[in-house]
Amino acid sequence: MTNLEKMLVALDPRDESDHGPALLATRPPTLNGKTLGLLSNNKPHSEELLQMIAGIMNESYNIKNTVEYNKGSHQWPANSEALKEFASKCDVAIHATAE
Amino acid sequence: MTSPRLTSLKHRFSDWGQAQDYYLESKLTDGLPIVPPSEDRVRAMLEFAGLEPDQVIGVETIRNKHITAEKVAVNSVMAGCRPEYFPVVVSAVAACCDRSFNLHASSTSTNGVTVLVLVSGGYARQIGMNSSTGVMGPSNQANATIGRAVNLVKTNFYGSVPQDMDNSTFGHPGKYSFCFAENLDASNWPSLATDKGFDGESSTVTVVAAYSPLQVSVFGGKDPTSFLTSVAHAMIGLGPSISEVLVVLSPEVMQYVNEAGWSRQQVQEFLWGKAQLPARDWIAWRRVEHPETFTDKDQLVGCVADPSRITVLSAGGAAGVYIDIIGSWGNSRTVTRKIEIRS
Repeated sequence: MTNLEKMLVALDPRDESDHGPALLATRPPTLNGKTLGLLSNNKPHSEELLQMIAGIMNESYNIKNTVEYNKGSHQWPANSEALKEFASKCDVAIHATAE
Repeated sequence: MTSPRLTSLKHRFSDWGQAQDYYLESKLTDGLPIVPPSEDRVRAMLEFAGLEPDQVIGVETIRNKHITAEKVAVNSVMAGCRPEYFPVVVSAVAACCDRSFNLHASSTSTNGVTVLVLVSGGYARQIGMNSSTGVMGPSNQANATIGRAVNLVKTNFYGSVPQDMDNSTFGHPGKYSFCFAENLDASNWPSLATDKGFDGESSTVTVVAAYSPLQVSVFGGKDPTSFLTSVAHAMIGLGPSISEVLVVLSPEVMQYVNEAGWSRQQVQEFLWGKAQLPARDWIAWRRVEHPETFTDKDQLVGCVADPSRITVLSAGGAAGVYIDIIGSWGNSRTVTRKIEIRS
């Protein structure tokens, strides 16, 4: 028996399927004049945190306006139809969690 | 007849110790040694269940994970399962992929919940599962390795690795393994499998996104209204925002229930009715995440939304007047699947 034949062969338990890399959304060249979306996960203080971030961004950029959407629960993904509608109303969006 | 081709990456090791080091250092175990998943052992699992390697056992839609029989078998071998345990693992994994179980959120949350695998029906006895003394503890190979296999699928295949995608604050001892069988000898009731709508010959597996168990010592004699009051009080401790509760009656308590002639439904309704408080009390005890949602502060709010969310069964050893309660996380629902056994 060769050394290779004497070796212990064991299989890999991980997911080896290739679903392609996760990609970042395309970034706009500037935030000036853009509509900012604020996506809350309904955790206590998440909306306050998002408002604070929006305030800081307003100081640095000429944000046109903000739109807000609360997805209702941190435990589930946002409803896809509601998310599409939210996306149609803003140019960029921030999602945040807080306690 | 040729054996179906296994497609998993093959690792070659000079000896058993080198294999252990690889799986441990690659974070492919729960910290304990594993059985190296050789092709022969993996094939034995698949052949016992009559499954092809590429057969999809379940799809978790949030991460788009298609869990194949081969990968469930690899993890089952690693956990130490015998081939006859494999159909139980397969059904449990399929149940975890039901959208209502919410595997993704429950296995990544800071809340430390694990997958409790609860087996009901004759197959549990056939493969030697423990439903009696020390039912939630160690020593039984089937209980220990079936629960471990489900957890290894969750970490190795799904990616819910502790300190990485699994961010639970405290963790849970059941993340090693949490699996037991219903004690069918203790109860006059139909099995849990039958109660869930399956025929009397079927065995089932139920998965629960389980918090840690809380053992309650019950006092006040044999009257169910007395000892179930103790349980309802303990249930209130779980808070008003849990999804479901599993109530495990020791055989001695079950005997009192049998003697009183109470049905499972009566127990469920009694516990649900008792485990309620006015909204203002929950709010005063700071047990509510969004108190502003309660317009009527005198409104009675239950530990769970309705009696059907209380699952009651018997398990455990003959001695001891105890009841164990296990809350389930957030909005995850318990899911029951038939165990498919090749005849």
